[in-house]
Amino acid sequence: MSKLHFTFNDKPVEFSAGQSLAAALTEAGIIAFRQTPKGEERGLFCGMGVCQDCLLTVDGVPNTRACMTRAADGQNVKQQVAFPVLEKAPIAPVAPAACKLEPDVAIIGGGAGGLSAAIAARASGASVVVLDERKVGGGQYYKQAAGHSPLDDQQHEGAELLFLAKESGAEIIGSVEIWGAFDGPLFLAECNGAAYIIRPKTAIIATGAYERPVMVPGWTLPGVMTTGAAQTLWRSYRTLPGKRVAVCGSGPLNAQLALELAKGHAEVTILAESAPPHWCAPITALKAAMADPGLVAKGLYMLCDLKRRGVALHYRTKLQSVERRGDQLCARFRSEAGRITETDIDVLCMNAGFEPQNEILRLLGADMSFDASAGHLRCQRTHDMETSVPNIFAVGDCTGLGGAPAASIEGTIAGVAAAARVGFRGAIDLSVESRQLARHRRFQANLWKLFDTSPRRIDSASSDVTICRCEEINLSEVLGGLQTNPSHVGTLKRATRVGMGRCQGRYCGPVVARLVAKATGKPLEDASYFAPRVPIKPVSIASILAAEEALKDEC
Amino acid sequence: MNVDVVVVGGGIVGKTAAIELAKSGAQVSVVDAGINSGSDANAGSLHVQMQSRFMRLYPEQVPNIEASLSLYCDAVEEWKSLQADVGSVELVQKGGLMLAEDDGQLAFLEKKAEREVRKGVTAEILDRSALEKIAPWLGSDIVGAELCRNEGKVNPLVANSRLRARADELGVRFINDKVRALSVSDHVEAHGDADSYRCDRILLAAAWGVNDLVSGFGVSIPSRAEPLHMNITETCSARFDHLVQHAEKSITLKQFGSGQIVIGGGWPARSRGLDRVPEVELSSLLGNIALAARLVPSVGQLRIIRTWAGMNTTNDGASIIGPLAGNPRVVIAVPGDAGYTLGPLVAKMATAGMLGNRSFDEDPRYSPARFAA
Repeated sequence: MSKLHFTFNDKPVEFSAGQSLAAALTEAGIIAFRQTPKGEERGLFCGMGVCQDCLLTVDGVPNTRACMTRAADGQNVKQQVAFPVLEKAPIAPVAPAACKLEPDVAIIGGGAGGLSAAIAARASGASVVVLDERKVGGGQYYKQAAGHSPLDDQQHEGAELLFLAKESGAEIIGSVEIWGAFDGPLFLAECNGAAYIIRPKTAIIATGAYERPVMVPGWTLPGVMTTGAAQTLWRSYRTLPGKRVAVCGSGPLNAQLALELAKGHAEVTILAESAPPHWCAPITALKAAMADPGLVAKGLYMLCDLKRRGVALHYRTKLQSVERRGDQLCARFRSEAGRITETDIDVLCMNAGFEPQNEILRLLGADMSFDASAGHLRCQRTHDMETSVPNIFAVGDCTGLGGAPAASIEGTIAGVAAAARVGFRGAIDLSVESRQLARHRRFQANLWKLFDTSPRRIDSASSDVTICRCEEINLSEVLGGLQTNPSHVGTLKRATRVGMGRCQGRYCGPVVARLVAKATGKPLEDASYFAPRVPIKPVSIASILAAEEALKDEC
Repeated sequence: MNVDVVVVGGGIVGKTAAIELAKSGAQVSVVDAGINSGSDANAGSLHVQMQSRFMRLYPEQVPNIEASLSLYCDAVEEWKSLQADVGSVELVQKGGLMLAEDDGQLAFLEKKAEREVRKGVTAEILDRSALEKIAPWLGSDIVGAELCRNEGKVNPLVANSRLRARADELGVRFINDKVRALSVSDHVEAHGDADSYRCDRILLAAAWGVNDLVSGFGVSIPSRAEPLHMNITETCSARFDHLVQHAEKSITLKQFGSGQIVIGGGWPARSRGLDRVPEVELSSLLGNIALAARLVPSVGQLRIIRTWAGMNTTNDGASIIGPLAGNPRVVIAVPGDAGYTLGPLVAKMATAGMLGNRSFDEDPRYSPARFAA
């Protein structure tokens, strides 16, 4: 078989079919993808299309996300400069004609929740379209393999769910980026340069969550990425993020990644868990075990396996800083007792909990309330998973963290309810699902008590730590703005530019919302966060033109 | 609380007025409701030539705007003095281009330019080949344009922050409260939701909110909120120096120092009441961007990263500057069309009157007396 290759800054890079540009470049040892206006370098960070930091210029088109773009033979890939050049005479935007969809049920997000919802709604007889932003469905939990056989039970399970969803007759469309959500509901999306206009009778929002980072000096350096990004490299593309790896933050995903990478022959120099060991909270651990003995056993087995493979698991240990030293990163950790550990690594992975991807729900005006223990908003829903906005259902982590098993059950319940709403009443008994859901929620509630994912106080951090990755705004600038006028995050945004960049405040937003709440003494609520606005994700003007053409006579 | 002057409204007019008053030694408090200030949503165009959008939508106001044209020229100069005082607001004055896509539009611009030149505006008509030299990035459908050299742009985020910092430095106090009513005796009292504010004199710089404050004083000011839509792209290295508008359609397009392109120009947003920020309308987003990409095709290579909506203010086209008849303690300062451009100058004129450096009678056409109920 002939080798596939593209060029990066005019040098050839080999890749395997199905690999993303991010994976292929990582495998080639290239980690700096773009330059910022302040002269910093950035690389792969979130790995799931959220942070907008892995931008490359591909075949002359700037602002192409390496994590979401498949490598192709002969591509001309360039590191993206801070201020990309616009072609003087651009090719007339010959966007393909817009695609209009009007299903009974539109499902946004093809993860555990979305696919389960699709299967249930189809079983009732409703027409279903699933729109997922990744090329292959399955979501962040099932992370499907691109072009190779499943790695383990989790991927097998995901492949089966995806198969069942396809078999059900649901139309599953990948690479769809939803950028607009309006009353109706009406969704606007971009898919490989084409515009999608979706007017479903009902919608199920299943957009999942993204990862909460550990904001320390150096967290924006190339080579520092979320645990999920590293996991996607390995699980989906069989690319090791690096040979020497450190993992930090809190929660079971970090241990899972450390084990997966160790099995893949990476050297995991440290797994730093900021929470105390589980045996320090025996009753909570026992409650979690009673709610789901299988998952707890799996967790224990994972910890034993990590130990067997010599991975140093440090409890009560937090990341302090990371800096570049030559071609390696040096990460510095500090234990509660004050012990400092430094490690030289290729890659630092971080996950300190999750933030719901609730942009669509907030835009549509679904009622939210603040969940202090999780440190994020939760979407208010009925037992049928319907939000306060009629005909808009929501399932899984986008409504507040709940885990993939709960998302699946919620999906089934919402799928049945959404189909019933448009007149398809299947004879489906949901009593088993209701019991299972209660059990999973019990498990989750106890599980997260064992970890340390409630948001950390940031105002005591080093003043030069970057808060807003996109606009390169540090803590002292944010605090300065707060001192002048703390009235609202919107005021702070205009005064400091915090949250004005491409990721639209997804990382800095939760932090500044907490800072403003603290400064004003007001409780956190929906209005404490940046106002939801279209576009939900940056959208190409070419795609807007295609949508305008298609909707000209309608609005 | 007892101060010399309370300024109601902390937007461009309120801030610059507070600075002027504080510089003269007055003790000043700015009371602002913190919601729907037009200055917070403004995109920083410095308008001088008559905006075609406005002429089309509000033809009855055109005579007032035309009569005020020299004020717009002076207003841009005032921005330059302001920049000298508060530091860079990223002011660029490379002129504004109003584009024509056919001969009819160009003929309209020719007539408009003649009228404007008579009022002291620096305006000329450029044909395609002349345009090619200064704006080669324009779309192929553009046949010509009116170039108004007085026009320019500022970065409103930077300007607002600089002004706030200058006001803080001068000891101006900022209070977050919504003033609902006034009572006047040997002093003025402004009644807010949280507190009342007593002062010798009050300056009403509350734009669309001003009529609610004075309706009990024998005037009816037609100022009203107009919810508008704006968009911004990613950064790029291209340099679009001019403020771009269109002879017939609503658009402003310009580039900030950050390299981002701001696209606006008065497309409507959906009001959700005066106490909530308006909502972005899909039709405005699509129409506004599509027009921008037609006029300046290379922006079609960029992505839109954000849109927002905010409140513009319209009244009868002319600014409102001066005391309420029979109530010299209450002074109004509300700019006419293009309030952000006019803001610093209107504030200066109002405060000059309050400080006795200038008589309000000099410009009777801006007097609130014209709105006697």
